Amino acid sequence: MSMREILRSGPIELEVLRRRSAQDGAPTLLLLHGINPISPQAPFLDLLAGHGEIVAPSHPGFGQSPGPDDRDTIYDLVHTYLGVIDALAAEKVTLIGFSFGGWIAAEVAAAGHPKLERLVLVDPFGIKLAGREERDFPHLVNTHPAELERRAWHEPARRPAGCYGVGWHTAIGDAMTDDEMKTLARNWDSLCLYTWRPHMYNPQLRQWLHRIAVPTLVLWGGSDRIVTPDYGRAYAGLIPGARFAAIDRAGHHPELEQPAAFVERVATFLEVGSSEGSLAP
Amino acid sequence: MELWNHCENPYPFVPNEVLEQAESVRASLPNEYCDPKIVAQLYDEILDEYRLCDDIGLHIVTNEHHSGINNLWAASPVITGVVANITRNVRILSLGTLITVRPDPVRIAEEYATIDILSKGRLEIGFVKSGATEMVSGDANPMRLREREWEAIDLIEKTLTTRDGPFSWEGKFFTHPHVNIWPRPYQQPRPDFWAATSDLPTCAELGRRGIVNTLLFGGYDRTRQAFDAYKAARVQAGMPAPGEDRFSYMAFAYVGDTDEEALRIGQKIAWFLTVSIKSAPQFSKFQPGAVAPGMAPAAWRVGAPGRPRPTNLDAEVLIGQGQMFAGNPDTVARQIKEFRKRVGGICHIIMMTRQGLVTHAEAEASFKRSAKYVLPQLQDLPPIDADETAWAARQAAAR
Repeated sequence: MSMREILRSGPIELEVLRRRSAQDGAPTLLLLHGINPISPQAPFLDLLAGHGEIVAPSHPGFGQSPGPDDRDTIYDLVHTYLGVIDALAAEKVTLIGFSFGGWIAAEVAAAGHPKLERLVLVDPFGIKLAGREERDFPHLVNTHPAELERRAWHEPARRPAGCYGVGWHTAIGDAMTDDEMKTLARNWDSLCLYTWRPHMYNPQLRQWLHRIAVPTLVLWGGSDRIVTPDYGRAYAGLIPGARFAAIDRAGHHPELEQPAAFVERVATFLEVGSSEGSLAP
Repeated sequence: MELWNHCENPYPFVPNEVLEQAESVRASLPNEYCDPKIVAQLYDEILDEYRLCDDIGLHIVTNEHHSGINNLWAASPVITGVVANITRNVRILSLGTLITVRPDPVRIAEEYATIDILSKGRLEIGFVKSGATEMVSGDANPMRLREREWEAIDLIEKTLTTRDGPFSWEGKFFTHPHVNIWPRPYQQPRPDFWAATSDLPTCAELGRRGIVNTLLFGGYDRTRQAFDAYKAARVQAGMPAPGEDRFSYMAFAYVGDTDEEALRIGQKIAWFLTVSIKSAPQFSKFQPGAVAPGMAPAAWRVGAPGRPRPTNLDAEVLIGQGQMFAGNPDTVARQIKEFRKRVGGICHIIMMTRQGLVTHAEAEASFKRSAKYVLPQLQDLPPIDADETAWAARQAAAR
């Protein structure tokens, strides 16, 4: 069953995509999307719903979520999602963040929440590793969309219909509806508001990742040339006990290019986490 | 009426094959293609043109753009300070430094106060919202530009006019706990403000504040709509009708000995539109904030990648659209008077003449003809039909 609802947390209202799990007592999986909200057409959703109850809000200013008004910084998004975790009925929550949402998820986990049980980061942005004259990733707004697409996908043709990732501008054409374009424009504007400077990272986050106190899986598309697997390994190395795994034949969006492999990795992590309580690196 | 000279100081010396291959001629074209010796020569020539303008009564406009072939004035206050020092008579408008890019409006106010002193009160301060490649070159967030622009203007105004400082400012975009500039401006309480916009709500706000509204190449209809919005806002606020000195228009311009000569040379100005605006999609239509999301489909579906840019913008077409004034002196005077009538009254015409491939000698010849033969024809003009103008303002207010 799939539906879009409104999720309220204090003054914040978020559009939310839910997939109920057929399984009783399935863990609640809070999905934080990347540069665009998770499409209901994304094939990984049905597979993942076999392992947990999916709650996938659209960030303020993305999709149909209102805002962002004056709550236009990463600080605001962190507090938004700490509030969302408060508002969820589940006693425990697994946080899964993709790309830009991976950055937010890492921030939330570093801040900590008593209901947070596990963390999955999928090709996240968020930290500065390279020297001051080297970029860890291209500037998403200032780089030609064709170059972004070339870097973002192992095989662009594997992009599922209705799902738009980094380099989405290249998909503009007759197959894209006006409503899709309006939503993509809204998402793009909001992303820019939140992330312009420093672009796509918080210079302070790196030194606080050690505060993450829940079992963590860092998943990476082996062909991601937006944010490379080496960056991912270093990222995982800064989180106590985090496990790193690469998914072959996938770029920046492994959940879209290799949905079965992606879900298999997450499912294994959920099972190990629940049976052992914690993960050894 | 008053005539102003504005030169963007373009750099039309990069080989065409380089420009054709570049994704953008602004922001990302490496400066190895910019020869500083050529630039020094251009600076000399254009400063000489400004000296000429000072002698013959054409006011001077400076501006700035960054990192591209379209404009070599990278710092308007610096150049405006130089102009202040080499002239004695005419007014000088900085239109302007990029207030949405620069981090500290207080510093901008200091620079302008300094220039006002240097010029002994001949400075006018212009504001532009900016956007596109300027956001990239200046690492400025392209979102919320309009809000940032107004906060910057408010802070600059307070900085220029406060006499019992220091005062503190803690706004949405700018903070400064200790504002107290020395020197304060020469003109009291401050130099006049101008702003370049055709955005109707912004024009209305300019009207309420009495800021000079200038349009850039807007043509007859957009300019009329903008000025009507300005006037309507004042009617609605119960404020007196604005004088024509509150309205300004920038157009391409060339005054020749004959119409034929003016059209031939005027055609060289079109380089500005055909070459110097080439910009990569991420710096233009896909830049966040460039279009409201509701307008994105229309903006994105046209101008698809690979669509050729216009390469043959005819001077006569530009004249027909009210974007160029060109001809012999009588023709140009007639064109400007017609423009004034169609937009409901205007005082300031800013002529963009030294543009594109127009030479130093050609520009100076046009300026001399403008001052000697055109400007006198624009003095003591009969008032614009007040009834017609008031009716248009009421119509705009009703909309």
